[in-house]
Amino acid sequence: MTLREVVEELSAEVLHGAEEELNGTVATVAAGDLMSDVLTRATIADLLVTGLSNMQTIRTATVAGIKSIVIVRGKPVSPQMIDLAREEDLVLMVTGMKLFEAAGRLWARGLRTGETRA
Amino acid sequence: MALTAKFVKTQELLFELRVADVMRRDVITVRPDQTMTELRRILRDHRISGTPVAAGDELVGMITIADLIAFLNSDEEEALIGDKMTANPDSLFSDQLLVHAIQQFDATRFGRFPVLDPRSRKLVGILTKGLIIEGMLRAMEQAFQEEEIRQYRASHIFEDMVAEYKEIYLTYELVGRDFDRAGKASTQMKRNLKRLGIRPDIIHRLAVASYEAEMNTVLYAESGVMEFRIAPEEIVMRLRDRGPGIADVEKAKQPGYSGAPEWVREMGFGAGMGIPNIIKCADRIDLQSTVGVGTTLSVRIFTGAGANRAGDEGGGT
Ligand SMILES: Nc1ncnc2c1ncn2[C@@H]1O[C@H](COP(=O)(O)OP(=O)(O)OP(=O)(O)O)[C@@H](O)[C@H]1O
Ligand SMILES: [Mg+2]
Repeated sequence: MTLREVVEELSAEVLHGAEEELNGTVATVAAGDLMSDVLTRATIADLLVTGLSNMQTIRTATVAGIKSIVIVRGKPVSPQMIDLAREEDLVLMVTGMKLFEAAGRLWARGLRTGETRA
Repeated sequence: MALTAKFVKTQELLFELRVADVMRRDVITVRPDQTMTELRRILRDHRISGTPVAAGDELVGMITIADLIAFLNSDEEEALIGDKMTANPDSLFSDQLLVHAIQQFDATRFGRFPVLDPRSRKLVGILTKGLIIEGMLRAMEQAFQEEEIRQYRASHIFEDMVAEYKEIYLTYELVGRDFDRAGKASTQMKRNLKRLGIRPDIIHRLAVASYEAEMNTVLYAESGVMEFRIAPEEIVMRLRDRGPGIADVEKAKQPGYSGAPEWVREMGFGAGMGIPNIIKCADRIDLQSTVGVGTTLSVRIFTGAGANRAGDEGGGT
């Protein structure tokens, strides 16, 4: 699935990310509001779906090597977050959907966690 | 991916370029009182297909090879450029963003635009599609080279320096509850390690451990100093903070244990996975704490040829 398809599937608004970047493909997703859960993954996800909207959302993605972020529930995103996303070269978008629905739709389109179940 | 990343960086760089950065300054111009025969010679000699018409340094028109052909196909013997040119031509300002100029090329299908100084409105240059491409390539090359040179220099630092012991220390000061900066030290460090040419899986483990430790200090302590010692065979991160300390260090190492208050959870932390994450990423850790004084955490990760691959269990405590 391409990032552009993610944007369409979630009716998301892209806050940072060039056209060409949206052609990039995503296969694996990390979803959740607790950043340490994101960081404990054994593999690097392509996309972070989270209800957390603060500077740590962007920094956690940077540290975890995740290149794109969807913020759910239409949470407001500060200009500093967008600046940081630009600086760190991340795609940042926001959707009005809840985490459950956003994750469910992406699952239905074939995206997975990319982690083997324990 | 690396290539796409580079490409996107380049795009952003292009948004910083202005017309003045890529335009040609030594413009060949003709005067309105010169003849079309003269124009023919000028276009041929300079191998150009169009040129601004100027009276002094005032732009009065544009004349192109298409105008010349139309003239040659007519039965006029001779004519003045001033009578055949396009008067009051579209122009660009030198301080305009190049991307806007590109849109103007697209919208009009003209091959070239005269460039005016935004204040004096005098002719200062000319812009063609060819010049845009040249200018963009130049800017791209420069940006790539800068980062490549940085990476090259940094990654050879241990080979280039001659000493019996070679170590680099990088230090960051952390401030409790400064959430604009929280995590910045670790993301900067990640970039530094990339430049140093450290293996990506090792960078990942270091960045995660460092970030979890940095967040703990910012969330729970007053202040801290985070120091990285980079040696040829290992990297050691040591974070000393002043703060409440941890009463039961063994408990804090257990996955799921958290003493975090509600506001910490609202910030996306408090899963009780931070210290366990650090242990998982490290080859060795040492966590010491004194209640009421502070906490000191050392994380050691081996970087030599035999260093753990990602996914290997760290050496733990
Ligand atoms: N530097 C510190 N100073 C004081 N207390 C600390 C410090 N680091 C950790 N703690 C205490 O140890 C607990 C466990 O820390 P740990 O990082 O494992 O989990 P957490 O911070 O609660 O959640 P997470 O890291 O998953 O977001 C914390 O909740 C906190 O009470
Ligand atoms: Mg923590």
